[in-house]
Amino acid sequence: MLVKQILLTIIGLSSGILVAGGLFGFIVSLGVISDFADRTHSGNRIRLYERALALGGSLGNVIDLFGIPMPVGRWLLAVFGIFAGVFVGGWAMALAETLNVFPIFMRRAKLVGCIPYIILSIAIGKGIGSLIYFWFGW
Amino acid sequence: MSVSNNILYIKGDQSVEVTKRDVTLGDLVTMECSQQNVVSKLKTIKVMKIPEKGQHRFVVSILKIIELIHKEYPNLEVQSYGSPDIIVTYENQQQNNRLWQICKIAFVTLTTFLGSAFAIITFNNDSGVPEIFDNIYELIIGTTQKSFPILELGYSVGLVVGILVFFNHFGKKKISVDPTPIEVEMRLYENDIQTTVIAEYARKGQELDVGETNTTDNHRT
Repeated sequence: MLVKQILLTIIGLSSGILVAGGLFGFIVSLGVISDFADRTHSGNRIRLYERALALGGSLGNVIDLFGIPMPVGRWLLAVFGIFAGVFVGGWAMALAETLNVFPIFMRRAKLVGCIPYIILSIAIGKGIGSLIYFWFGW
Repeated sequence: MSVSNNILYIKGDQSVEVTKRDVTLGDLVTMECSQQNVVSKLKTIKVMKIPEKGQHRFVVSILKIIELIHKEYPNLEVQSYGSPDIIVTYENQQQNNRLWQICKIAFVTLTTFLGSAFAIITFNNDSGVPEIFDNIYELIIGTTQKSFPILELGYSVGLVVGILVFFNHFGKKKISVDPTPIEVEMRLYENDIQTTVIAEYARKGQELDVGETNTTDNHRT
C-alpha cells in the first residue's frame, strides 16, 4: 500500500513539474508578459510579474483541483473576469502574432493602410464571439 | 589641429534614451583615443536638437557621427565597434507621472496573477486532468475511491516546483545566475522593435545620415 502511495506521489510530482514547464514556457515564449511590460514601460518590474505569474498559477491550480470554495462576492468575481479576459485576449493575439498570421495576410492582400481597422475588428469580433458563446451556452 | 596617425575608437548602443533636448556625441557613443583631450573635446559636440513638439525619436547613422568627428579632426582615423545605427529616444521626465506608472504596474501584475490562475484552470479542464487522475488511481490502487488526494497533492507541489525552477527565482533569491525567461524574452522583443525602427526610418529616408539634407524628398518610398 505504501509503495502505491509513493508511486502516486512520484507520478503527481513529476507530472506537475513538467506541466508547469510546458504551460508557463508556452505563456512566456508567446511574449504576452513582455508585451504588457513593454506597453507600460515597466521592463524593470519583470521580476514582479514573474512572481505574480508563479503565484497565480500555483494558487489557481490548488483552487481548481481541490475545489476550494472562494466566497469573494460578485464584484471581485467581475474583477477576476476582466483581468482573466485581458490576459486571454493578449494571449490569443500573441499566438496569432507568433504564427505570422498578420504579415502573411498583409503581404498577400496588400493591406497596409488599414491595419488599425483590422485590429479593431478582430477585437470586436472576438468580444462578440465570446458573448455569444456564453449567452447561448455553447 | 594636427592629430595624425591617431585612431579614435567609438562604440554606440543600438538604443539610447536621452533626457536633455540637446544631444551631444558623448550621449550617443563612448569614445577612446590615446589623446584624452580629443575625447573630451568631441564629447561636447552637438549632434542635434530635439524639437519640443512632434517627433521624439530619431535614428542616427554612425556615418553621420563620423562626419561630425571629421569636421573637428579631419585627419583622425575613426573605428566604430558598435551599432551602425543608433536609435535616439527623447524621454520627457515630467511626462512620467509616478502615480500613473504605479497604476500601470499594478494592472499588469493583477493581469498576470489572475490570468495565470485562469490559464492553469483552463489547462487542467482542457486536458481533463481530474479524469486522468481517476484513471491513474484505478490503475494503481484499483479504485477511484481515494481516502487521501495524494496524486492531486503531488501534482500541486510539483507544479509549484516546476514554476519556480522555470522562472529561476524564488522571491528575491535567484536559483542560478542566468537571466530569467521573461528577461530573455523581453530582450528579444526589444531587439525586434529596434531592428524594425531602424529599418522603417532607413526606408522612409528619415535616418540622420551623411550626404543628404535630412528630408524625405530625395528618396524612393
